[in-house]
Amino acid sequence: MATNPMHQFEVYRIGPEIVLGSVNFSFTNASLFMVLSAATILFLLFISTKKKLLIPTKMQLISEMSYTFVAKMINDTAGSKAKPFFPFIFTLFMFVLFCNMIGMLPYSFTVTSHIIITFILAAIIFIGVTILGFVKHGIRYLELFVPKGVPIVLLPLIVVIEIISYLSRPVSLSVRLFANMMAGHTMLKVFGGFVVSLGLLGGWLPLGFSVALTGLEILVAFLQAYVFAILTCIYLNDALNLHH
Amino acid sequence: MKNIKDISTRLEIAKKKIKKNQIKNNGSNVTSIGTALKISTELVAAVVVGSTIGFILDSWFDTKPILTICFFIIGVVSGFLNVIKSAKKIQKNLKK
Repeated sequence: MATNPMHQFEVYRIGPEIVLGSVNFSFTNASLFMVLSAATILFLLFISTKKKLLIPTKMQLISEMSYTFVAKMINDTAGSKAKPFFPFIFTLFMFVLFCNMIGMLPYSFTVTSHIIITFILAAIIFIGVTILGFVKHGIRYLELFVPKGVPIVLLPLIVVIEIISYLSRPVSLSVRLFANMMAGHTMLKVFGGFVVSLGLLGGWLPLGFSVALTGLEILVAFLQAYVFAILTCIYLNDALNLHH
Repeated sequence: MKNIKDISTRLEIAKKKIKKNQIKNNGSNVTSIGTALKISTELVAAVVVGSTIGFILDSWFDTKPILTICFFIIGVVSGFLNVIKSAKKIQKNLKK
C-alpha cells in the first residue's frame, strides 16, 4: 500500500458523513487542504500587512511583491481595462500557488492533482469570461468566431473550428494543471519507492533523482499557478478588447 | 586621444547591451517553459473536445461513426490553429 504511487491521490472522508438528498457533502481530506491553503494565504497576508512600514520587513516585502507581480501581469496581458478584475486573478493565483506548494510538503495532499477541482476552477473562469464578453459587447461578441478576411465558402467550417477552439479553453486549462501536478507527484513517489527497494547499495542514484525532481516540482508548482493566472488574463483580454 | 574615447564609449554601449540581453534571457527562460507546456496541452485539448462533441452528436442523430470522425478531424485542425495562434502571440511579444 505504501509503495503504491497512486495511493497519495486517494480522497477519504474526515469526520461525519453529511448527505443532503443524493449529494454527499462530507468533509474530505481534499476539502481540508483547500481550507488549509486558503487559511494560510489569509494568515500570511494579514500578518505581513499588519504593520505598514515604510521600509518593509521580509514578510511585508513578500506580500507586496506578490501584489506587484500579479498587478504587472494583468497590466501587461489584459491592459488597464482589466484592473477591476485584480482581486479575482490575485485570489486565483494565490489559491493555485498555495495548493501546489502545500502539496509539496511530505504527507500532505495535492488538491490540484484532481481534475474535478481544476476543471471547476477553469469552468468558473470560462463561464465568467463568456458572460462578461456578452455583457460588454452584446451579440457582437460572436464576432470572435468569425475571423476577418475569410472567403464565404470556407466560413461555416472556420466557424465550427473556432467554436471548438473556444470550447477547448477550459479543457486545456484544467488538464494542464491537473496533469502536471499528478505526473510530478507520481514520479516523485516512484523514485522514492526505488530508494527503499534498492536499499543502501543502489538507492543513492534514485535518491539524487528524487532531490532534483523535488526542485523541479517546486518550479512546476509555481509555473503552473503562473500559467493558470496568465491564461485567465489572456481570456479576459479577449472578452474586454474584442479584436484579433 | 579621440580614438580611445570613441572606443570607451562603444565599450560601454556594448556592455549595456549584453546586460540587457542577459536580463531578457533570464526573464524569458521560466516563461518559455510555461509556453511550451501551454502549447502542448492546447493541441491535445482541442482534439478531445472535438471528438467528444462528435460522439455526443452521433448518439443524438444515430449516425454512429461518421460525425465522430468528422469532428475529430475538425478538432485536430482547431488544435493546430490554437498552436499557430499562440505562436503568433509569442512572436508579437518578442518583437516588442
